[in-house]
Amino acid sequence: MADLLLEFKDVNTFYGDMHALKNVNYTIERGEIVCLLGGNACGKSTTMKTIMGVVRPASGSVTFDGQVISNLATSERVRRGIAPVLEARRLFPRMTVYENLELGAYTQPRGPQFEQDLERVYALFPRVKERRDQLAGTLSGGEQQMVAIGRALMARPRLICMDEPSMGLSPLFVEQVFDIIQEINRQGTTIFMVEQNANMALSIAHRAYVLQTGEVVLSGTAAEMRENEMIKQAYLGEMQVEAA
Amino acid sequence: MTTADLILQQLINGVSLGAMYALLALGFTLVYGILELINFSHFNIFMVGSFVALMTLDAFGLKGQTVVLTGLPLAGVLLVAFLVTMVATGVLGVGIERFLLRRVRHVKGPAAMITTIGVSYILLNVVLLTTGADAKNFPNPLPAVHYDIGGAVLRLREILIWIIAFVLMGGLSYFVNRTRLGKAMRATAQDPDAARMMGIEVDRVIMTAFFVGSALAGAGGLIFGLYYNFTSASVGFVAGLRAFTAAVLGGIGNVPGAMVGGLIIGLIEASGGQLIATAWTDVVIFSILVLVLVFRPSGLFGRMAPNKS
Amino acid sequence: MVTAALNALGRPFAGIAPERRKFITLVLLTVVMLAFPIVHDNDGDIDSMANAMSYATLALGLNIVVGFAGLLDLGYAAFFAIGAYYYGILTSFQVMPEWSSFWQPFAALGLVEKMNQGGPDLVHFTLSFWLALPTAALVAAFFGVLFGAPTLRLRGDYLAIVTLGFGEIVPIVARNKSDWTNGAAGLNGVQAPRLFGWSFGVDATPYYYVGFAMVVLLIFISIRLRDSRIGRAWMAIREDETAAAAMGVNLVRFKLLAFAIGAAFAGMTGVFFVAKLQTATPEMFGFPVSTMILVMVVFGGMGSVWGVVLGAAVLQLLQSWFLKDLTQWINAFGDLVGSAWLRQVDLVQSIELIFGIILVVMMLFRREGLIPAMAKAPPLNMAAQTANVQRGGFTGLERIGRWQPAGGNALEVKGVTVKFGGLVALNAVDLVVPDGGVVAVIGPNGSGKSTLFNVITGLVHSDGGSIRFHGAELLGLAPHEILEAGVARTFQNIRLFPNLTVLQNVMIGEHARLHAGPVASVLRLPGTRREEAGARAWALDIIGLFGNRLTPRIDQIVSGLSYANRRRVEIARAIATRPKILLLDEPTAGMNPAETLELAEQIKSLHELGLTILLIEHKLDVVTRLAQNVIVLDHGEKIAEGLPDDVRRDEAVLTAYLGRTAQAAHAGVANG
Repeated sequence: MADLLLEFKDVNTFYGDMHALKNVNYTIERGEIVCLLGGNACGKSTTMKTIMGVVRPASGSVTFDGQVISNLATSERVRRGIAPVLEARRLFPRMTVYENLELGAYTQPRGPQFEQDLERVYALFPRVKERRDQLAGTLSGGEQQMVAIGRALMARPRLICMDEPSMGLSPLFVEQVFDIIQEINRQGTTIFMVEQNANMALSIAHRAYVLQTGEVVLSGTAAEMRENEMIKQAYLGEMQVEAA
Repeated sequence: MTTADLILQQLINGVSLGAMYALLALGFTLVYGILELINFSHFNIFMVGSFVALMTLDAFGLKGQTVVLTGLPLAGVLLVAFLVTMVATGVLGVGIERFLLRRVRHVKGPAAMITTIGVSYILLNVVLLTTGADAKNFPNPLPAVHYDIGGAVLRLREILIWIIAFVLMGGLSYFVNRTRLGKAMRATAQDPDAARMMGIEVDRVIMTAFFVGSALAGAGGLIFGLYYNFTSASVGFVAGLRAFTAAVLGGIGNVPGAMVGGLIIGLIEASGGQLIATAWTDVVIFSILVLVLVFRPSGLFGRMAPNKS
Repeated sequence: MVTAALNALGRPFAGIAPERRKFITLVLLTVVMLAFPIVHDNDGDIDSMANAMSYATLALGLNIVVGFAGLLDLGYAAFFAIGAYYYGILTSFQVMPEWSSFWQPFAALGLVEKMNQGGPDLVHFTLSFWLALPTAALVAAFFGVLFGAPTLRLRGDYLAIVTLGFGEIVPIVARNKSDWTNGAAGLNGVQAPRLFGWSFGVDATPYYYVGFAMVVLLIFISIRLRDSRIGRAWMAIREDETAAAAMGVNLVRFKLLAFAIGAAFAGMTGVFFVAKLQTATPEMFGFPVSTMILVMVVFGGMGSVWGVVLGAAVLQLLQSWFLKDLTQWINAFGDLVGSAWLRQVDLVQSIELIFGIILVVMMLFRREGLIPAMAKAPPLNMAAQTANVQRGGFTGLERIGRWQPAGGNALEVKGVTVKFGGLVALNAVDLVVPDGGVVAVIGPNGSGKSTLFNVITGLVHSDGGSIRFHGAELLGLAPHEILEAGVARTFQNIRLFPNLTVLQNVMIGEHARLHAGPVASVLRLPGTRREEAGARAWALDIIGLFGNRLTPRIDQIVSGLSYANRRRVEIARAIATRPKILLLDEPTAGMNPAETLELAEQIKSLHELGLTILLIEHKLDVVTRLAQNVIVLDHGEKIAEGLPDDVRRDEAVLTAYLGRTAQAAHAGVANG
């Protein structure tokens, strides 16, 4: 498996007193979009925190690009090419859009490369360029999500971890955001995405995992998932069936 | 002295005092902005700063009010004194953070604040036990140059204090608004979890905040000595409370707010001696603290409401 | 090692029941304390003990504020000063107004005397010590409320700084109002207490016994309050203010009550202290004193009644006995080795340094203090842990009675809008919950569901609209008033009181339905006793709804429970409030399918008993199983409403939830 980018091997994570991840295994290959489905409080956010090193696994290992990263600091992980798009966007509200993007590139050397990355983000999101001197807290939800994705791109990531990119966005924006996620993926960035909007996520993902109370209960290709009865039942998929 | 002269004189005094309180208030605001912690040890870091300054000047052979320097020697001595004091208090602040506060940073409840009270007490009593409780004469190497503006007097001392405070606060503003680490600091204050995810080493940012805040408190301690020509182990408490009031007045967590708040408190203290008995000045200042917290908890220019849960 | 030795020592007593052991210990301790001045005839030591007792009473008072209610008060000595000056001024010759007939009735009561020192007749205050003790408590309590009131809305750390300010102001006033207090020189000629005509004078023994009686009384009051409705409300505030308010605790009243009772303890102690010293100076009440009392509380264990008494005793005796002896030893050692420095070391001088070190060391290494307030319940044994799950539910329900829906609408939300800055979290939302019905609110994360619950329960303010509950407007009411009206809730992120037990959590839910005030709680009259017993029984019944999930764990601290069990405790706590409507915010989040099904059945059986329910839920099978009507929120707006099956077919819902692909798929299937 030369193409393996991120791997969880028998990871157990405790969050407070809670056994949040139980013997979890994920593999994500270079160039994939993988999505993680599950209800609230099932361990999705803990997965993200474990990848970023905000919580450390009690046992098991996390490997990125062939190297074990379970014991690295968050900053080192970002430097090695993992960037997050956080749940509810979490921009720095009292800093300008430009400063937010700058902070996205915190681990990168300042130089011509920075300007290049900035141009790439502006090209992807012309709106972000228009708003660059505005305080991030004053943007609309959709604009904030664009800045959040742009901010992640500024770190020159090989893997972007997205925590509910559709949250709180209007349907129109959700579609735009998912288009952009696909575009970023086409440009060569691997995407690992937690998403509630199962249908939307499965429409662009290559593969998916389903978490339930901290355990992976199902995994497979997106196409398989869309046909899976359990998914239909649990994640509103059944609506579609019944509606038909 | 006419009334106008009197007002002018109080203004001159008030701005000098205000500069000192502002330097001290900035330390509260920087640390609170990031950790939401009222750092009581800051009170006595200021006091320790005034003693470090005293010893540094002493090392140059400056004792009491007798030795007066001018020109380059004066500038050199003051520069060295400020540098030594600020580095010493900065290192003290970082040490407190690194070895004590970091261990209770994530504990819910008042543990961190109680720790800072304990540290403050330790600093106070170490100084008390080594130097005694009596006031120490603080050297004044400045020549007695002054300008008369009407009946009011503007001394070299005041001008010097203003310049130093202006330079330090300007430097701080530049640091916070323009530098990489300064921006990381603001980001950490606004959202520490998100900042960490950007790859910002939050521990380093917090240590920087403690260093910068404590160094400014040290500079404030030196200015205190120059202004009042004395220092003692007990100066930290009163000055600290006033500076804290200044930080709250400006909206805690707000850097320019702390500067303006410091000026306001300085002016109140200077005019307070004139308008009301000096003995009641602190009652007035604490009343302001209570009124601001009750009616405008985010301060005059604030944005960080302290009663968010 | 130490534990082993203690165990060995304790072995002979292991056969005695713990309750009995506790009783015997108390009796022995009392006998030793009573006998001490008789056996040990050293006035200095007895005096040190009497001082230790006054610090113990101060620590007990501060413990109510800091330990029970979690309000960090750094100016506690101010109340000590108020009690001290109250007694000092009213028994000395400091304030002597001119005599007039106004004073006649007071003279008749023995509170004042007419005096003549040449010139006009003057009034000499002669307040009796015994009368001063309770009245000083009242006066100090009044000031406690006065100082507390403006600070209550502040976060804990701001409260600390404001109380610090007050703590500074009181000595400043004492210093500057020298016509009343004789300023820095201190009050002179304070009368010693008299008992049946006999003056205590300067002999330490009578003060020792009075001090001991005060400590016993205040320990008694502290324990009675701690184990009552009042104490539970304080601990709820300490653990989570928002949740406490949502469970019906009137934050303002109970915080002020803590301030007042804490201040009352200090006021009484002030009287005792001044009577013993027969003088009062402003320096006796400054920040160092407040800090010392805080050190005693932290050292002994915040919230632990016996702990703070021990902390006060140890630190005071350390100061007056041990450090003196240790200093002498070190000095002697200095003589021996010829070290000038060791010869003149004075450890008593460094007591404040030691206090600082104690604060830091305790915070770093033993935050719960010498005697922790919460004893850890033993973990469940293997049998209990692995016992088969019994669902309870239907059998347990029999005992909790039935709700009687009155018909009509229980809850009517009309045009409610909530804005956070520029963001509209809820936009003119309407919804109706019929009495006895179950309504579900669904919608993507971030669509405003929890905000809806928060505005109904008074945790966020609305920017327009109306919320009527059985006809009465809820908007504008405080959270505890809304709970009293019969609206109880759970939280999406679970907001239990983390350091309290399962039973305590559930009993806090009953707060608004119980009535015992502070006096009744201390006296524990038969009525109060019955109320407590009833409250406990009711809590156990509700806990029993969840079968053997929670019942074996009632004495466990909730933060150690599994996620699912914490959810159950939170639901039990909400039911304990005897609600007319229950608002459940994602009750099954974090539960596996079997647990989800179990809980859904339990909720259904509550509904069948007549309870009205408003439910936020993501799991559609749960919604279908329970709800009669479904409201769909998206972007803070209601985009659909109807029967579960109808809502599923709604175009807007499909778009909101599923996006274009679903629509496309939907369209595709429909076309095909």
